[in-house]
Amino acid sequence: MSIVRISADSTLSDGPNPALAPVQPRRVTGGKAISNVVLLVLGALFLMPLLWLIFASVDSHAGPTIELPRFTLDQFKAAVSGDNLRALLNSLLISTIATIVSTVAAIFAAYAFSRRHIPWRGPALLFILMLAGVPVPILIVPIYELFANYGFLALVPAAIFLGVTSLPFEIWIIKNFIDAVPTDLEEAARLEQANTLQVLLRVVLPVAMPGIAAAVIFGFINAWGNFLVPLILIVASSQQPAPVALFGFFANDVIRYGAMAAYSILYSVPVVILYLALGRFFRGGFVLGGAVRG
Amino acid sequence: MEAAQQASAEVGTRPPSPFAAPEVALPASQRLDKARFDWSSIPLLLPAVVLLAVLFLGPVVYSFYLGLTNLTLIGPTSHHFSFTGTANLSRLIHDPVFPKSLYLTAIFVVGSGVVGATVLGLVLALAMQRAVRAVSGVVGIIVMVAFMLPPVTVALVWYATSTGTLPALVGSPQSDFLQSLPLVVVSAADTWSLTGLAMLLFAAALRNIPREVIEYAELENANAVQRLSKVVIPLLRPTIITTVLLMTLLALANFTVVYIMTAGGPGSASMILPVYSYQQAFSFDNLAYGALIGNVTVVLAGIFSFLYARLVRARAREAGGIT
Repeated sequence: MSIVRISADSTLSDGPNPALAPVQPRRVTGGKAISNVVLLVLGALFLMPLLWLIFASVDSHAGPTIELPRFTLDQFKAAVSGDNLRALLNSLLISTIATIVSTVAAIFAAYAFSRRHIPWRGPALLFILMLAGVPVPILIVPIYELFANYGFLALVPAAIFLGVTSLPFEIWIIKNFIDAVPTDLEEAARLEQANTLQVLLRVVLPVAMPGIAAAVIFGFINAWGNFLVPLILIVASSQQPAPVALFGFFANDVIRYGAMAAYSILYSVPVVILYLALGRFFRGGFVLGGAVRG
Repeated sequence: MEAAQQASAEVGTRPPSPFAAPEVALPASQRLDKARFDWSSIPLLLPAVVLLAVLFLGPVVYSFYLGLTNLTLIGPTSHHFSFTGTANLSRLIHDPVFPKSLYLTAIFVVGSGVVGATVLGLVLALAMQRAVRAVSGVVGIIVMVAFMLPPVTVALVWYATSTGTLPALVGSPQSDFLQSLPLVVVSAADTWSLTGLAMLLFAAALRNIPREVIEYAELENANAVQRLSKVVIPLLRPTIITTVLLMTLLALANFTVVYIMTAGGPGSASMILPVYSYQQAFSFDNLAYGALIGNVTVVLAGIFSFLYARLVRARAREAGGIT
């Protein structure tokens, strides 16, 4: 949607795209001061829990209160000891399976919904959007009953199910991006006798990459962060992912805040890395306005 | 990108004459008429349709059936359960915890999703437009990291903050806000984790407002409040509606943060519907009743989505009437 607007803007003016230009400093300084103060106050409030997490992870005497750390790396050592490292690998496996399943299915479906004539397309898309809004916790009883009957209470089926929970929204994300891709490119490829798969992989996919990156991020984070699904749908404790392992820290008689914080950081870093690695696609997407004009 | 540029060069330099020649040689199956159903759409749609039917839509329907049975987690009715009609429904109506849970869910969803995350996200996005670059950059990163953290980590840091740092800040280190104000604390934790997404949506929408529009309002001597209320907010309306719905649905689906921090307690003081559903299904072994409580949240989500669709359609009609 954003791409459409930006490209529409850029056709109106010859100069640099106004929507892309950095916001110029305002003349009114009062508003600017208020903005800075608001940001600093809210920023401090948002920072407080994060700061506790970082300090506690390197503090040899970590408790629930923010304190300047008495530096140690023992908390990280404790965090990767025992089964905790395996839980992180299980998380990686679950999220990778879930992301592949959901993104591949979503790309094909999104392309069909964007470019093909599908009967009742409008209601079907609205229905998919409604599915995206279904609270996932309610699926857990019927899925548990289903998987228990077939002996599927294990890592791979749980991962596939997690992929499906992000599928409706991924279809929407990718469809919106393909909608914004001008059909000129595909028509040109068709003239060169490209088949549907070639058009999809060579023409649509590269241009819709920001949308696919967004869908991948969504699918991965969705699976990586989910706690309830593995807790219920995976029986073997050796297959449990990091969030369930982290929950296990609470079960101890004495809560080891430092080790928990260190493990939380290790568990959260992959999400941040993925987001940063794919972030450039978002910026690249804004250049798209110029692609068709050649 | 490279392919796209090549292809676009093709479009740009396309002379009109070569159109006719190869077109005749195309096989009959390659139709250019898009108004008819293309059978090759079926393999494209099949993976998504099968996955959604078997692992999403089917289970939702099944859940509505299970809610009206006597299915349990253990015991004889875990394998041989039967339809019990409205027995669970009448139990739901007479359950004193259910209306309380409904009420707590409403407060949690409105407090953390609609008011908390949406308003804070909008305020942050607006302030970031005008603040010093370094400040908005750093604060943006902090808020986004909070959003990116997985729910279990959110639960952990807020568990620590509400039992340690916050009591110390207000000068009574012995008090435990998780005991005294459980719903406020879990709502704050949920707000903290959702605001980044709202901020991202609003920041993108604000970037799409052409600067000329704001400059024109400035030329007309509109002050900051007027520019905001008469120009920026109306232009952001579609984004606000979308964000409110998204935040509502995300808050409604929140199980992890609340379950880990309070497990619904103390007593049932933070027993939102997803946690109550889990407790009935997997702690009290009553899968059927848990499914029924879960179904209530689906109905609520459906109502919100329906209202959203109505709002969007009304807007589209409005816009159509003007142009």
